[in-house]
Amino acid sequence: MTLAPERSRNSTAPGESEQPVRPAHPRVGYQPWIMAAGTVLATGGASLSLNGVMRGWAWYLPLLTTVLVVAGVMALLRSLRARPLVVTAGGLAALVAILTLTFFRGTAVAGFVPTGQTLSALEGLLQRAGETVLSESTPVAPNAGIVLLACAAVGVLVVLLDALAVPLGMPATSGIAILAILVVPAMLKPQSVGWLAFLLAAAGYLVILSCSQWYDTGARLAGDTVRNPGQTRRTALIGAAALATTLVLPTAIPGFDTGSFPQGSRLNAWGTGNGLNPMITLGNSLRAPTGSGRITYGTTAGTAPYLRSVTVDSFSGESWGPDDRGAARQAGTSRIQQGTVLPPELKRSVTKISPGNFSSPYLPVPYAPESVEGLNGQWGWDPLTLSIRSSDTNTRGQQYTVVSSMPELTADLLARSTRPPDGVAADFTTVPADVPEIVRSTADSVAGFTSSPFAKALAIQTYLRSGDFTYSLDTPARAGYDGNGLSVLADFLGQKSGYCIHFSSAMAVMARVQGIPSRIAIGYAPGRLTGETMTVAGVEGVSQYEVDSRDAHAWPELYFEGLGWVPFEPTPSRGIVPSYATSSSAAPGSPQSLENDDALDAPAATAPAPTPSSSAVPLPGGGTSPGAGPGAGPWLAALGGVLGILLLGVTPRTIRGAVRASRLRAGRDGPAAGITAAWTELEDLGTDYGVPPQLSETPRNYTGRLRGTGVLGEPGGMDDAGHQAVLALTSDYETTVYGPPEANPEPAVAGTHVSGVDAASKQAAGRIAAVQEALRANATRPAQLRAGWIPPSTLRHMARFAAAPLHGTAVLVRLTAKATVRSWEGARDGLRRLRQG
Amino acid sequence: MDPHHGMTVEEASPAQERARRNGHEPRTPQAGGAGLPVQAMDADSFRTASQRILTAINTVIDGKADAARLALTVLLAQGHLLVEDVPGVGKTLLAKTLARTINCSVSRIQFTPDLLPSDVTGVSIYNQSSRAFEFRPGAVFANIVIGDEINRASAKTQSALLECMEEHQVTVDGRSYTLDEPFMVVATQNPIEMEGTYPLPEAQRDRFMARISMGYPDMVAEIEMLETHQSSSPLAGVSPVVTATEVAAMIAAVQHVYVSQAIKEYVVALGRATRNSPLLRLGASPRSLLQLLRAAKATAALDGRNFVLPDDVVSVAGSVLSHRIILDRKAASAGDTPAGVIRSIVAALPVDRESAQRPQAAESTPGHGR
Repeated sequence: MTLAPERSRNSTAPGESEQPVRPAHPRVGYQPWIMAAGTVLATGGASLSLNGVMRGWAWYLPLLTTVLVVAGVMALLRSLRARPLVVTAGGLAALVAILTLTFFRGTAVAGFVPTGQTLSALEGLLQRAGETVLSESTPVAPNAGIVLLACAAVGVLVVLLDALAVPLGMPATSGIAILAILVVPAMLKPQSVGWLAFLLAAAGYLVILSCSQWYDTGARLAGDTVRNPGQTRRTALIGAAALATTLVLPTAIPGFDTGSFPQGSRLNAWGTGNGLNPMITLGNSLRAPTGSGRITYGTTAGTAPYLRSVTVDSFSGESWGPDDRGAARQAGTSRIQQGTVLPPELKRSVTKISPGNFSSPYLPVPYAPESVEGLNGQWGWDPLTLSIRSSDTNTRGQQYTVVSSMPELTADLLARSTRPPDGVAADFTTVPADVPEIVRSTADSVAGFTSSPFAKALAIQTYLRSGDFTYSLDTPARAGYDGNGLSVLADFLGQKSGYCIHFSSAMAVMARVQGIPSRIAIGYAPGRLTGETMTVAGVEGVSQYEVDSRDAHAWPELYFEGLGWVPFEPTPSRGIVPSYATSSSAAPGSPQSLENDDALDAPAATAPAPTPSSSAVPLPGGGTSPGAGPGAGPWLAALGGVLGILLLGVTPRTIRGAVRASRLRAGRDGPAAGITAAWTELEDLGTDYGVPPQLSETPRNYTGRLRGTGVLGEPGGMDDAGHQAVLALTSDYETTVYGPPEANPEPAVAGTHVSGVDAASKQAAGRIAAVQEALRANATRPAQLRAGWIPPSTLRHMARFAAAPLHGTAVLVRLTAKATVRSWEGARDGLRRLRQG
Repeated sequence: MDPHHGMTVEEASPAQERARRNGHEPRTPQAGGAGLPVQAMDADSFRTASQRILTAINTVIDGKADAARLALTVLLAQGHLLVEDVPGVGKTLLAKTLARTINCSVSRIQFTPDLLPSDVTGVSIYNQSSRAFEFRPGAVFANIVIGDEINRASAKTQSALLECMEEHQVTVDGRSYTLDEPFMVVATQNPIEMEGTYPLPEAQRDRFMARISMGYPDMVAEIEMLETHQSSSPLAGVSPVVTATEVAAMIAAVQHVYVSQAIKEYVVALGRATRNSPLLRLGASPRSLLQLLRAAKATAALDGRNFVLPDDVVSVAGSVLSHRIILDRKAASAGDTPAGVIRSIVAALPVDRESAQRPQAAESTPGHGR
């Protein structure tokens, strides 16, 4: 009865044709699980490299659990044939559930359903994490907040990775999610990523890549044509390109001077130090092979002074930061006074300092400043510590002259200061309750036998400078106690290896335990002669010194009643041991490198190059600039990674790819939806290559024009497949849209009726791929690029989307104008009638 | 079905028995659909039959394949055809050839100013022997009626044809006689500017499904015509290639062609566009849209499809609509032609594919396109 009996032959009963039987995917059984394994391998492996960003390994178990649960739930959903959106939503739900179970079990319903209480607990943890980020340096202590943040970030990345690889159909792009994990250690850890994590992440990525072909609707993989070399060659090509990039890229980037990417050094994108927490940056500054932030100065004092920026006096908490008594800060720098009792005779000197490009809100000055001249901006000083800080500017580009004064200290003088400290703030005497036992016992055994404060201080300094301790920039980082804090201190006393931060904090804390008020000063060790001279305070020919980030230093200052704050130098091989501290009590075998007197006019010996050449491990190298704010770094980097992925998500190319993938998948909802979607895709392809459909064109007219304009090449030629595909798509679309409902086309390739739907979507994908290839092959290079990166079809949609508010406003304005005119006319007529009447 | 298929073209001699037999059984005009149980032809036979007809016509009339195809379309869509052009371009030849290729009854009426309505419809005369009035059918009682120079007849005679064309029946002395199916009037007319013509009223023009203009043949076809038509009449070589039953079956097949909601919307949108066009004083009537859709169905069937595409509608829109619409005076003086206006309207009419998918999903019951 119909004119197309070959179709009616295949048509089924109406009920069946409405609800097409979902075919059993032949290999769905194990596919999602292998995919999940790849995801776990990639993210879990990449996360291994976070050791060193976070201390120890305690954080890894919750993280791995999170990854396993999220990936497992998604694989389960996928094996149950859930829709892509459901899989992604399920993954996120699983993430929330496992995070709740791990961190907020007490507040949740049934252990994993978050409640209002959970939210407040979450707020607390996040706040804690935020504090850690701001105040600590890497490796940070893995407290609950940080681990929660890490688990959440990695969990979200697992979902993202899966979403990129499967529903969006961009498996190669999923590598960005893995990169988002790797970029954190790459930028923050001196050892960078490490080969194991890199290897595991790469392996997982390859597994994901090879799995994704099962989920690809076949647009790029199905067609095996002249121009489509097939999956194997494609994989080999990608691998070769990646390998070449890994090998070539490091040599091309100036920052790489040792090794290559996974093991070697890396660029630091965060620039020079912001000086917010100099303690944090100190380790990295020291490790930098090339100094930055060069400061030059000349002084009337005979010897190069320590330049002091800031002090640390609170030894409680996870990590220490510069004390900031903002309220007590005195404005103006013309008259700076110490609040303590000092000997009447002080030795004054004038120092002229140019910080150059060094940028910090804290002003490096010799101790103890009396006045600073020549500063721009608002500067204020802390009466307790004499640190000078700006509220609105920084040191960059300043040039200033400091008058500083110190008593003429001698060992004799110090030894006579035995009165208990009086008139010093409690800030400097408080001993935190949680001082580790090893610190107390060490302090007791080193200095317990003497009674005078000076003898105790000297004993501690001698102990730290003894041969037991070695100066190493790498040991702390390698052993995972880099940075500062009481727990770090305990580790340091156990390892007996570290750098100035550790030596100075050890001495400061032990002194305080022994009853001597103490604080840690941070700044620069005496610098090197530049060979030039300058004029300071009318004195000509003053030698010019220079320091840079490699001279960054920390040293303890101890308080002696009647003498004020007295600096010491417990760090072996760094700085200059003050003359008063080099008493005969100093151990003869101590590797003290310099005597104060020797250093006076011996710049060559002053402050030997701090390059820790004694270390056996390969130098971590360092970026072109020292790591700044690495505490904030991991989170900034993670945030950047996520933002990057989001940004990538809205590029026209990505949107176009995602739209295409979703269209090619539409066939699973039934043949009609698939064919309609394929047609829309064909129209968009035409638009991308400069043949957009017109509103009044019938499908047949449009494809006729498309084939006639030559964008598909000659019919019957090399690209005949494209022509045939266009014809088939047109015919299918016409039949679907205009044909009788019972005669929807059955795919010709359907082997059995069950796999018909799947075969149909594969077929549509193959046709679209053929059209795309023909279009690309016949387009000029600019047209190819345009279609690939800024596809007009997507831009058009985006423009429409963006213009929607404008359009709405225009309509509103037009309507208002019309209404106004109408009411005005009405009023005018009424008036006229009134006047006439 | 028709025992009188052997009649000559020039004569109109309907048989009395047939008139008697049919006259008492008034049927609906749409015989193929409901009244007569005609089996729809399957696609393969349809294709071969239509190919045979077109080939036969094309052997006679050179270079007018489009006109021949449209004539067949109108036949299959159960419409009537108006062939309009200057004398001597083969209007009558086309009509005659179409009639010849089908093995059915054909009559020809040469319209003149003095032709009476009863000459067309038939007349009741008193039979002396049976002492009763007896209906003597007119020229319209045939499957294919060729009305030559239809605009030369008076308005009265023209309108006598009117009822027959629309209702497929003749009413004489209060009695209705149904005409045989298939029934098609192929009328030719000279452009109204020629001498001695009565322009067809608008109502009557509306009854013709399509108007085609023959146009002059191209040079090659004209030379060939000079060669082949010199010695003998080209019609002599034409023999029927299909029977009337087959044509009825083909018509039934056309009626089964599916029309989707999208196409209906498109056709209505086209009609509304003609009514709203500032260039037109009179747009397309609802009847013309019905005929447009029928013609589109026939086109689809001739194309080997069992559903209508917008392309089918577009391809017949000019022929179906252009003789019904009336140009605005300004447009006419600006040199626009009805066909050109229709073309521009179609070119601007959006083919809304988004809405096309909606009813597709909603409809589940088959059996559309009656």
